Order: sequence, then structure tokens, then C-alpha cells
Amino acid sequence: MEIPYTVKPRPDTGLYNAKLGIWLFLASEVMLFGALFSSYVLLRVGAEPGTWSMGLMDIYVGAGNTMVLIASSMFVVLAWAQLKQGNLAGYKKWKWATIACAVLFLMVKWSYEWPSKFAHYDVWLNDAKVLHEKFEKGYYESASHIEPGGAEHGNTDAHGDDVEKYIEVIYTTRFFKESSDKSKTEFKKAWENGTLALSGHINSYEEAQIDFSITRWNADFGVSKADATKVLAKFSEDKVDELLQDGGELYQKTDYETAKLAEYALGQAGFTVALSVAGYETIKKHPWMWGTKRVNEDIGGKPRVKSLVFGLDETHHKEITLDVEDIKRLSAYEPKHSTFFGIYYTITGLHALHVFGGILVMLYNMLPIGLALWHKDREQYTNRIETFGLFWHFVDLVWIFLFPILYIL
Amino acid sequence: MSDSHDSSDFIKYLVNLFKIVGGVLVVGTVITVVIDIAFPLSLAWAAVIGLSIALVKASFVVAIFMHYKWDKKLIMITWTMLITFFFFAGMMGLIMWADGDAPNLARNQMPAIWVVLASLLGVLLPASFTVLTVKLLSEPAPIEAAEPKVGRPTKKKS
Repeated sequence: MEIPYTVKPRPDTGLYNAKLGIWLFLASEVMLFGALFSSYVLLRVGAEPGTWSMGLMDIYVGAGNTMVLIASSMFVVLAWAQLKQGNLAGYKKWKWATIACAVLFLMVKWSYEWPSKFAHYDVWLNDAKVLHEKFEKGYYESASHIEPGGAEHGNTDAHGDDVEKYIEVIYTTRFFKESSDKSKTEFKKAWENGTLALSGHINSYEEAQIDFSITRWNADFGVSKADATKVLAKFSEDKVDELLQDGGELYQKTDYETAKLAEYALGQAGFTVALSVAGYETIKKHPWMWGTKRVNEDIGGKPRVKSLVFGLDETHHKEITLDVEDIKRLSAYEPKHSTFFGIYYTITGLHALHVFGGILVMLYNMLPIGLALWHKDREQYTNRIETFGLFWHFVDLVWIFLFPILYIL
Repeated sequence: MSDSHDSSDFIKYLVNLFKIVGGVLVVGTVITVVIDIAFPLSLAWAAVIGLSIALVKASFVVAIFMHYKWDKKLIMITWTMLITFFFFAGMMGLIMWADGDAPNLARNQMPAIWVVLASLLGVLLPASFTVLTVKLLSEPAPIEAAEPKVGRPTKKKS
């Protein structure tokens, strides 16, 4: 049976099947994004002052990405116009331009906007007053230059107001954009009660070096001696028999990852092991997403990480060293950081998923398998491109509203 | 788009229109950025201005890029658009309501002229965009063949 109205519009609605279908789909999409948008607004409106990161988003990057999507939206409709005129080559040209724009949009998100957030941290201190002491070590000079009067306090006055003023500037830009009575009150409160979030970048950290020794092997653990030897052979080459018999030292001053892996594997094979902190080593490589849990994990009563060198401000070059016991919470700008980042990643992630899906459909339409329809029925192929265009404009539409909401409010 | 709009002159007219709309969208984005950077606005005003411009941009996309202007027959689309509009109007209202009884024009002390200019811009921009939208939409296409008038059946005919 021939399905009617696949190409020609139905006279009463003026629409062919696919177009009706895509509009219904878009209506459901409006509801999906509508729910997320209103969630965002309610969370934004209900947020306590000083908890919503306003100054974090780079409006120039956001505006650039908006331009890219606008361009792609225009290109997709120009591609369709070319098809209407029967010009396949012109269509392909505009379509590739659309795909390029979509890929560029995702690249900016995927390789710049999101990862740069994952590399930034907020630290909450048990008592912000320790900062006075921290700033004394190497930070005083920049802190004293915040305002012209600062230097008058003299070099001995690192415990004065300078540190607080410096931190206040960072705090206010981040949460209030501009200084006001409200922002001053909120800063005071945050400074006093430990809710002050200090933003920065972990430049290096002191990590425990671990001595690792095997106490004994439990013969009745349920693992055969041959299997236990096999497991042990993975960690020690020459002393396998000796270690199995009497135990003894396996590693000296090894790094945390190696020690924990060995602890797990040997534990599974029936070994009782002992880990102790031998000393601390400064590590400069960038840690990927750290939480307080990881920082605070103790080995033999000593913290795994002793201190962090934290780069403050937008440049991250002004460093302070924070001791682990002063840190209440440490979190990268990842979804669990706060309500703001939770809803931010949800909405932008879902939108990016739509862009990605759009790219897949566009590529399919450009492949021989998709183009086969053009050679079979030109009008139907043109209609297919038109319905895709409707979807693509909707994705652009969502971003048009996301841009002011995320980057300006 | 219905069959009567398939002539090549009409497509050429459309292509020009698409380019104009693209330009309007870019200008709207630039204005949003400039306002955000040049004027320290309160949350309420930032919401009103930012979302008004977004609304105007969105109506251009829907009307021209998505050819809604030529697809008005579908009552469902109209409803979707109307509901979306009310949704965003409500969203703006909510934000203004939360920020205080009357919106504060500026967060800190500044010369009054800037406040007045900012509020003027906030009213003028969406207004001028709307006028432009209406003008563009009401302009008839150069070549428009007479469409056969077909009523939308409200009752199923057996």
C-alpha cells in the first residue's frame, strides 16, 4: 500500500507527513527544555546570595559560540534553498559549512569550556583566618598593592586588612560582579562562618611516599600457594619465596597509586600487608579532578596529601600553600560542586547532545546511502533536508535562550 | 512550504531574506554582549533585556528560517509558539518578582543618565526589533501564486 502525503502536502493541513511529525517532535522538545529552563530559573532565584557563580562564564566565548550556531542555522537553510533549485553541488557546499560550524561549536565546548572548568577548584577552609598566616609567606607583596594606602601599614602588618580585602575582591567579582552593601555583608558572613569559597588552580602538591611491607601470608585464606606466588611475582621479581615465607619489605618510598594497587591485589591473594608514610614528595603534574576525600585519605595516621600549592586569581600565578587539615572541602567545577554547576552541565550537555545528533544526521544525508533518495525522488530528499533544518533551527533556538540565561544572569 | 512557493524567483527572494535574518541575529547577539559589558545591570533588568532580545531573535528564527510565516495553517505550531511565549514571559516575571518589588536599576551608585539610557535601551531595542519583525512578516513575497482555498475540516466527513 502506498502511504499518502509522503511528498505532497495534505490539502487540509498544508503539511506532508514528515513535517507534521517533526513539528510534533519539536513540541515535545520545547516541553523537555522548558522544564529544564524553568528549573534553572527557580534554582537561580532561590539561591542564597553568594552561592551563584556569576562572574565565571566568559561572555566572549559564549557570544562567539552563538555566532557559530547562527551561521550554521543560516547555512542549513541556504543548503535547502539550493536543493529547491535542483543544485546538488551548491547544497553540498552549504551543508559542509553547516557541519563545520556544528563541529566548531562542539570543539569549543568539549576542548575549552568544559575542561577548563574541570581544572579549576574551589576550596572551603575550616577557618578563613589561616589565610593571614599563609599570605605572609610570599604573598604579602601583591596583597599590599591592592590599594595605594596598603603599603603604609609597613611590612610587619601582614595580619591586617589587606588579605581580607584582596580575597573580598576575588569573592565579589565571582558571586556579585560588583561591590555593594549586600556583597560586603555576604563576604563578612562567609569569612566568619567558613562558607567562603576560594577559587583557584592546584599548581602542585605534596604527596605521601609509602613504605610497603608484607606481614605474612594466610595459608587458610582460600587461595592456593601456587596462585599466591603468581600474584606476588607480578610485584617482586627476585624475593618471591622469601616474601611468601617470612614477609618483609616489598617497596620503599613508592607512590600512592602503586602502593594501593599492590595492597588490593595482594589482599585478594591472602596477604596481610602494612603501609606507612615514609615522607612527602612535591608533585607538579596537574591533578585531574580532586575532591576532599582524596586529599584526606589517611595512611598510617598521616594524610596522603600534606599540602596544596594553590594559585589564586585569574592568572593562578599568585600562590599560597594550604595545609590539608585546614581544608574543609575541595571541589573542581564539576557537576557535584554546586547547584549552579549541576544545572549548567545538565542543560549545556543536553544541548550539546542535540548538536552531536544533528551532526550524525547531516553526515548520513551526505553519504551515498543518504543521497540515494535524491537520485530516487528529489522532492522527498528536499523535504527530508527541510525537516532536518527545522530540528537544527530548534537547536539554535535553545541556544539563543541559553546564551543570555547562562552568560548574563 | 506549499507548492505555490516553489518558483525559483521566490527561492531567490527567500535566500535574501535568510541573509537578512542572519544579520539580525548577529546584531542581536552583539547588542546583548555590549549591554552586559557596558552597563552594570541588576538581575531583573539583565533578565528583561537579555530575554527580550532572545525572544525577538527566536521569533525571527521561527518565522523565517523555520518558514512558520508560510506554514501558519498548522494550528498546533501556533499553540506551541504561544505557550512558549507565555512560558518565557512568566520566567521574566518570576525573576523580577524575586529581585524585589520594584527592579533596582543599578547595583551601585552611578550617574543617573546611564540608568535612564539603559532603561531606554531596554525598552527601545525589543520594541524596534518587534516592529522590524512585523514589517518583514507583513511584506508580501514578490511572487505569490494564488493558493487554492481549502477549508480545514472541523468535523470528519463520512
